[in-house]
Amino acid sequence: MHRRLFFFVTLVIALLAQLTIAPEIRIGVIKPDILLVLTVCWALVEGPGQGAIFGFSAGLLEDIFTTATVGVSAFSKTLIGYFTGEVRQRIVSKSVIWPMLIVFIATIVQELLKFMTWTMVGVEEMPPFNFGVIVGLALFDAAITLLIYPIIGRLAARDERALMFQ
Amino acid sequence: MINRESRHQRVLIITLVFVCILLVTAYSRESEGGIFHRLQRFSMDVVSPLQKGVSKALSPIKNAIGFVTDIGTARSERDRLREQVKKLQDEVDAGKDAIRELEQIKNMFKVKEERPEWDLMEVTVIGAPANVWEQTIQIDAGYDDGLQQYMAVLSEDGSLVGRVIVCASNSSVVQLMTDEKSSIGARLQTNSEMGIVKGAGNAIRMELLNQDAEVNTGDMVITSGMGGTCPENIPIGTITEISERRADLSIGIEIQPRAKLSRLEKVIIVLGPAPKTLPIAAGEGG
Repeated sequence: MHRRLFFFVTLVIALLAQLTIAPEIRIGVIKPDILLVLTVCWALVEGPGQGAIFGFSAGLLEDIFTTATVGVSAFSKTLIGYFTGEVRQRIVSKSVIWPMLIVFIATIVQELLKFMTWTMVGVEEMPPFNFGVIVGLALFDAAITLLIYPIIGRLAARDERALMFQ
Repeated sequence: MINRESRHQRVLIITLVFVCILLVTAYSRESEGGIFHRLQRFSMDVVSPLQKGVSKALSPIKNAIGFVTDIGTARSERDRLREQVKKLQDEVDAGKDAIRELEQIKNMFKVKEERPEWDLMEVTVIGAPANVWEQTIQIDAGYDDGLQQYMAVLSEDGSLVGRVIVCASNSSVVQLMTDEKSSIGARLQTNSEMGIVKGAGNAIRMELLNQDAEVNTGDMVITSGMGGTCPENIPIGTITEISERRADLSIGIEIQPRAKLSRLEKVIIVLGPAPKTLPIAAGEGG
């Protein structure tokens, strides 16, 4: 019960942060994907199954609370949550560099998945593909991981189920 | 146990991906009035006041971040503008030079118009007086260009500057009329009273032949043509001061040269009519 509450509180805070804070701290056109960063952090704490559920929930909320095609973010974040959870089982280091690196890669993968899905679905008003922006976004996400990861890790550690946080 | 959990997770991911595909398909096929579109509009209505409030609350932080991020842009902008200012300054300088050159050419044409019988040549000043005792300039034309000793030298507005005293093949030395060794036959424009204009270092003085002649400050002094070196009627300068009669009954007349002798860049040589005789010796007539 405690874990579920933690899950929902984290999800709601992440959604609110994404909708209100992220647009305010953008650099140029690049605003951080806080929901993705939290999906990766959650998956690193809880593993692939929980990571996939968190990613699906976060992505679906993102789709509903924006004007994006419903299901696209849910799809990409589900896969990222799942595979990050899988990767977590192979990492033994407690360094924050790993989550940052995973977030960096995950951001690029997510954006590529989004473009792929939009193309397959045939979305008419698709934004122009700009890899520079994607790398910028990945760097921004990796940077805010430095702030978010220790918080999630500390909160999760209280439940004694976290395996790899300080 | 592990295998069962792993299988459970695989089922879960496949299910979630399948749900996502269904959602994407359903959303893509529904109209603007469909349930997902309506849900999106509703959620936007719910969230927008919150976004507005947070935006307001975060505006000081946003401004601070904006300030920091603007520094880099401002620096590159500053460098670009500096570069642009330099370029424009160069263009302005080039424009000023062009205007000055045009003025010089216009002045020369004016002199030429006034004296159609004269053969004139414009030359560039390439050297200033070497010391305070020699009031001379060096020009970039000599024998090869048709120059001869004692030819009259004019400023761009046609006023007298001096005369050529040394001629080499490609350059010459011009003695300014302020040189203490310079003596030029002159007359007052108002009453044609004759005299000699002599150099006095940084100034020039006139000595009238008729000591009782009427002379006033502001009178224009022009060349008389006497001595045969300088053609007549070339403006020399304006009388600025008339001193008391001296013991030898002569009066000292100070003249302000019309030509700006300290700022000569181009001068005009009177090639023709060529000088007929030697100049008046500085000691003569005094």
